[in-house]
Amino acid sequence: MASESDRLLIQQLRNGEERAWEIFIARYEGRLLAYVNRRLRDRAASEDVVQETFLGFRNSLPNYDEKRELQTYLFSIASYKLTDYLRKVGRHPLQHVDGNSDILNQQLDVQKAASSAARSSERKALESDAVARSLTALLDQWRHAGEFVRVKILELLFVKGWANRDVAKFLGVSEQHVANTRFAAVKKISEHIRDAGLPADVFPELREEPS
Amino acid sequence: MSKIVTTHMLECYLDETLTDAELARVEQELRHSPTLREQLRQIIKDQDRGEHSVGAVWRRQHLTCLSRDQLRNYLLGVLDAGENDFVAFHLQTIGCAFCMANLADLQAQQKGTDAETKQRRKRFLQSSTGIVQPPKKKK
Ligand SMILES: [Zn+2]
Repeated sequence: MASESDRLLIQQLRNGEERAWEIFIARYEGRLLAYVNRRLRDRAASEDVVQETFLGFRNSLPNYDEKRELQTYLFSIASYKLTDYLRKVGRHPLQHVDGNSDILNQQLDVQKAASSAARSSERKALESDAVARSLTALLDQWRHAGEFVRVKILELLFVKGWANRDVAKFLGVSEQHVANTRFAAVKKISEHIRDAGLPADVFPELREEPS
Repeated sequence: MSKIVTTHMLECYLDETLTDAELARVEQELRHSPTLREQLRQIIKDQDRGEHSVGAVWRRQHLTCLSRDQLRNYLLGVLDAGENDFVAFHLQTIGCAFCMANLADLQAQQKGTDAETKQRRKRFLQSSTGIVQPPKKKK
């Protein structure tokens, strides 16, 4: 969800208020530039990509859904423009593949997915939301209790895909503690998904017991 | 970790959660290994077919991403030890590109808005909206 001040800003942009564009650019250009430049390591080219990002945003403004966080939306446009640029200059690893650009295009606009592949993408969104909700509840609970080690364990396991023993070694905790944390999370998420009437086994992490 | 670039690292590559060192390694290996490129292609195909994972949901919905306030307080060094440590972890070990970008932006802002930044913003404004910034009296 876009923040209150972002929503106000969007409204002003839609009303064509010039001052709002100034504020918008000042608010977002720095982080977008840093994001793009980390990949390109070329300041001038990065500025071009950010410029394309703002253009892309301006063109898509009528379709922007305020349920999406503005920053996330802008980063996804920037990511798409970045890919575009890398292809153009021959620096993209998969530039010779046909059809691939379609997939990257879709990253930009999730809303568009509501057409041909509607059934599966709607279902996927439901499943994702259920996972996100249960994980958020769990992570909030741990964070509020100051149990950041558990959050770290889970982030390394799920986000980075590390093995239990690597996580244990890195964080200086026992493998048993890592295994227990994983077990608690898998149990909680699986229950939540089943309660929502969805199959938990579409998520690989919830169906296997990694050694 | 025995393999230089794991499947999971490729997924993180697509979802922008690689540290600088990991990113360099993945980019390097992708340039040299057709097998790895094929693997990346396959991952994209699978995702397009609707396959997902808890990790992918976490990465894409930014479940542990840091707020601007958190990052600001991190830079000021006023977070309590546990939270401070977690912020550093998310930036340095997870390698979240979005939070790193926000941190870099806030670091630059700490130095104040210099003439170069003002010029750049003017350029963005003009090139993307056609608006030519009027001269201002206001600070
Ligand atoms: Zn993050």
